[in-house]
Amino acid sequence: MANKKFKLNKMTAFLFILPAIVIVCGLLIYPVLTSIFYSFTDKHLIKADYEIVWFSNYIKILTDKNFYVAFFNSIKWTTLSLLGQVLVGFTAALTLHRVKRGKGLYRTMLIIPWAFPSIVIALSWKWILNGVYGLLPNLLVKLGIFEQAPQFFSDPDLVFGTLVMINIWFGAPLIMVNVLSALQTVPQEQYEAAQIDGASKLQTFTKITMPHIKVVVGLLVVLRTIWVFNNFDIIFLITGGGPAKITQTVPIYAYNMGWGLKQLGVASAITVVLMIFLLAVCFFYFKLLDKWGKESE
Amino acid sequence: MKKMLQRGLIGNIFSHLYLSILSLFAIFPLAWILLSSFKGRGEILGDATSFFPKEFTLANYKNVFVNLNFMTNIGNSVLVSLISTLLTVIISAFAAYGIVRFFPKFGKILTRVLITTYMFPAILLAIPFSIIMGKLGLFNSHIGLVLLYLSFSIPYAIWLLVGFFQTVPLGIEEAGRIDGANKLQVFGYIVLPIVTPGIVSVAIYTFINTWNEFLYALILLNSSDKMTVSIALKSLEGQEVMDWGTMMAASAIVVIPSIIFFMFIQKKISGGLTDGSVK
Repeated sequence: MANKKFKLNKMTAFLFILPAIVIVCGLLIYPVLTSIFYSFTDKHLIKADYEIVWFSNYIKILTDKNFYVAFFNSIKWTTLSLLGQVLVGFTAALTLHRVKRGKGLYRTMLIIPWAFPSIVIALSWKWILNGVYGLLPNLLVKLGIFEQAPQFFSDPDLVFGTLVMINIWFGAPLIMVNVLSALQTVPQEQYEAAQIDGASKLQTFTKITMPHIKVVVGLLVVLRTIWVFNNFDIIFLITGGGPAKITQTVPIYAYNMGWGLKQLGVASAITVVLMIFLLAVCFFYFKLLDKWGKESE
Repeated sequence: MKKMLQRGLIGNIFSHLYLSILSLFAIFPLAWILLSSFKGRGEILGDATSFFPKEFTLANYKNVFVNLNFMTNIGNSVLVSLISTLLTVIISAFAAYGIVRFFPKFGKILTRVLITTYMFPAILLAIPFSIIMGKLGLFNSHIGLVLLYLSFSIPYAIWLLVGFFQTVPLGIEEAGRIDGANKLQVFGYIVLPIVTPGIVSVAIYTFINTWNEFLYALILLNSSDKMTVSIALKSLEGQEVMDWGTMMAASAIVVIPSIIFFMFIQKKISGGLTDGSVK
């Protein structure tokens, strides 16, 4: 009797998590498995029939120069964006933490980019930087800095930097807010003690502030790295990977293969390679998490 | 002492200078969207560097609502986002509570699975989604889009909510159990009221994310009467003559709700990204 009641209890407990398990299996695990399956076929976007082609999609992309260009672009895009986001976000948080007046107002203004939908990020910056009617190119000509309006999206020398700047604008607030909330967890007494002991500002920062916020900042950087690496919208909506594939990252390359050339099988193979790469990063992330978890205990 | 005060003052001036420059940079696109949206066509194309509209006009907004039928798209977005949010909150609240109370060990594994899925590139899922939705006959449908939105909103919501549920002391629940309440009653009458602020934040965050979403809507929806705002905005860009004033008016209509909602929840959401994973 008691045993039966225990089982029933376990059953109702299981019902709490059942819907979520169904969703995760049906909408995440199953699609990923399907994608792996299609990566071994010549699946076309519109045609229903397909044949198993084994590894020929993988051979195709691994011998395609564009794949490596896209991969390199992804690395470049991620590294530069992250460096900028962390630099701006971190310094903004530290500065915001020390000011007394206007803190709330600054904070409110500074997080606005975070709320922007990707399409509005794209349209607003395309408008500001428009080579004919845009404010900034015309202003730069008026001020005599440029002789002709700079073409931020079609000039091969400018376009990558422009996209990275836009991504820094968008992503720095998230870093700032998280670092700021981590800074607020540092016990005030430790700062006071350091001041009495005559510690310099730099010493206070490296000996007290950094150890406290290390974990949060580290996790944040890892998560953001993956996010920026995966980002599709910003580049797709602003340049579509152009001009001449200069800004084509792996997600854009996969999209163009799947929806542009309609080769879903090949596109699947690209995303599977991308996933394997990210899972490796993920594995590293969990290892780090365990290590830090033990340290802080 | 005087020297120290002076140094503090200079430091303060620099701090305010730095923050002012950053703030200006942060709000400029929003300001420019709004200013441009009130300018007439002649001014938009004729005078790129004029800051404030010389002649304040509502023609762009009228164009958005009357000629572009943008109300339909707003309605679509509100519908899809509301239903996604509702389903996400219900499913995730049960799941997060279940993980915290009944399956803490399994919960750790599940949380890792959820974080891992959070790292799946959207483009990876977009391919099978388009095939599966086609097979299910849900192509170009809002039901299909809601399903796709659950794929990213539920894992994140569970992750955030687990953090909130962990703050509920077990003692309160046990007291409820002794009084004869069953699991569902304890959950509904005792636990939920305590975590309501957390749930509201998660709901608003889900709403913003689905309202802003672009890629899944792009691959799933193809008729203009079904389009959500982000796709409708994208399709404006494809027109032959780019009408920047109208596009900025439409952009303003899309971005302002996001910003307003975001202001309400930013303090609660901020820690979540990293807190949830440390626990």
